[in-house]
Amino acid sequence: MTGHVSFDGSTASIDAVQRAAYRLSDRISCDIAAGEGSIEVTVHPAEPDADVEALIGELRNEVLDQVLRERIRGETADVRNLVLAVAFSKTGLVESDG
Amino acid sequence: MAKFLDPEAYRAQSADWQLLPFRFERINGRVLVTNLVGEHLFLDAEEFGQLSKGDLPADSPLVRRLRAKHVIRESGDDLPVELLAIKARTRYRRLSEFTALHILVASLRCEHSCPYCQVSRQSSDKGAYDMSSETAAIALDSVFRSPSQNIKIEFQGGEPLLNFELIEEVVATARQRNETEGKNLGFVIATNLALLDDRVIEFCRANNVYISTSLDGPADLHNKNRPRPGRNSWELATAGIQRVREELGVDRVSALMTTTRSSLGRVIEIIDVYVEQGLTSVFLRPLSPYGFAIKTKSFAAYDVDAWLPFFEEGLDYIIELNRAGIPMVEQYSAIVLKKMLTNDDPGYVDLTSPAGIGIGAIVYNYDGDVYASDEGRMLAEMGDKTFRLGNLHQDSYEEIMLSDALLGPLEESFTQSAPMCSDCAFEPYCGADPTYHHATTGDFLGRKPTSGFCRRNMAIFKLLLDRYESDAFTRSLFQTWASH
Repeated sequence: MTGHVSFDGSTASIDAVQRAAYRLSDRISCDIAAGEGSIEVTVHPAEPDADVEALIGELRNEVLDQVLRERIRGETADVRNLVLAVAFSKTGLVESDG
Repeated sequence: MAKFLDPEAYRAQSADWQLLPFRFERINGRVLVTNLVGEHLFLDAEEFGQLSKGDLPADSPLVRRLRAKHVIRESGDDLPVELLAIKARTRYRRLSEFTALHILVASLRCEHSCPYCQVSRQSSDKGAYDMSSETAAIALDSVFRSPSQNIKIEFQGGEPLLNFELIEEVVATARQRNETEGKNLGFVIATNLALLDDRVIEFCRANNVYISTSLDGPADLHNKNRPRPGRNSWELATAGIQRVREELGVDRVSALMTTTRSSLGRVIEIIDVYVEQGLTSVFLRPLSPYGFAIKTKSFAAYDVDAWLPFFEEGLDYIIELNRAGIPMVEQYSAIVLKKMLTNDDPGYVDLTSPAGIGIGAIVYNYDGDVYASDEGRMLAEMGDKTFRLGNLHQDSYEEIMLSDALLGPLEESFTQSAPMCSDCAFEPYCGADPTYHHATTGDFLGRKPTSGFCRRNMAIFKLLLDRYESDAFTRSLFQTWASH
């Protein structure tokens, strides 16, 4: 038995949906398609007698977390790169541009 | 004039917070947050909601906790960035000083016939399976090419004491060379102790050589795992342990155990044997999924779900031993806790990223073949030479260390960019282990949602954090383990 869930494309990116589906890929496989302003996901449980609605609920929650992770990555990318650049400076592990 | 500024001077000036890089996992209704270098805190759902919505007050206990753990910073405050950089540099310092552990396979011959052992040979032909002096000399050239200031040479087998003359020769030559090299040089012999005699004892005393041995628990279990003529492996191992402790010192011998299916359900008995032998650490590790361990399913096979209760019962028992005043460390936990609670990285090969293969440890086989890890050598014995980096007689140090066989798996398994790992709050505690994933899935990265490595380590991390939070004694105990 398969299930279907739709995500609003203005609040979740396809990357976030894919990351969420990957995290649950021990229990579900997914067909992910970009619709008009939405992301359509067909969920196939790995176990035939699995509770599809419960798995879709998990996927929804995971997508929310992935959206948040995406925001954190975006907001902190510069400082993350700065920290690592400072950390690896003078170690001989990064080549100077000069 | 007051020695300290007024508390107001330290209070945040505004609620203009900026996020610092962090990752999170939801665990039993709470949220684990780890910063860029793995320092952690737990938040409840309401607190995490405030953080994620950017709805934090100018000052509050929550804000102070988040600032202290470098999860947020006040706009314009550069100090958290500098501190994170120092901590990250400490965590990754081994990268510029690579390959501290050099494993020399002195002989593949062994008088034991352990069914899960992939490599040993029952042979009296010394020439066929022993490392030659010529090969050992080239191996030493490679050892001293390593940038690491700390160098440990570990003799393995088979049973390395069957080629004791070579060990004597290598140790003498290495010590002589080190008079000019100036490394922190150490030696370990990994032996079942069945061949321990006066000559070996005197040699270890004179050269400060450490002994690493195997002790699987009670006699019946150990002897079943490790058959030898006379069926007395346990008796010889424990007698050897006592002799080394008495004649060389209690810290000169440590033991590792192999967990076979027969071990499951007997963890308390196993730990009790370690206590009886006066040992103060035990390494509760699962059998690696390599070679004969997979082939001899009837003997050894079990999955992660069968092993985890074994580990949990053992860890809890060890905590209670310590509470009762009996010192005992669980080694795997200690490695993880060092990564969790300090900014140091013990460089344990399975739990590092980039992976520890080649750059944490390297293996010189008896015939001069060089492997990226001991497990890589075991796979080769089963016909899979993926992790063979070259041969000492044919390839230069540069060719070996820059080989695709080493750089490929290092790059492909890097967890900081791996699917699921890159977002995982446990990533700073975990490792890449391309050998495991290659052996179980055929590629270096593996699929983490179905990976036994991921499942086992996630469970261990959660268990350790749960116990760490559970009571003050365990918290203090774990901090002691982490600082070892």
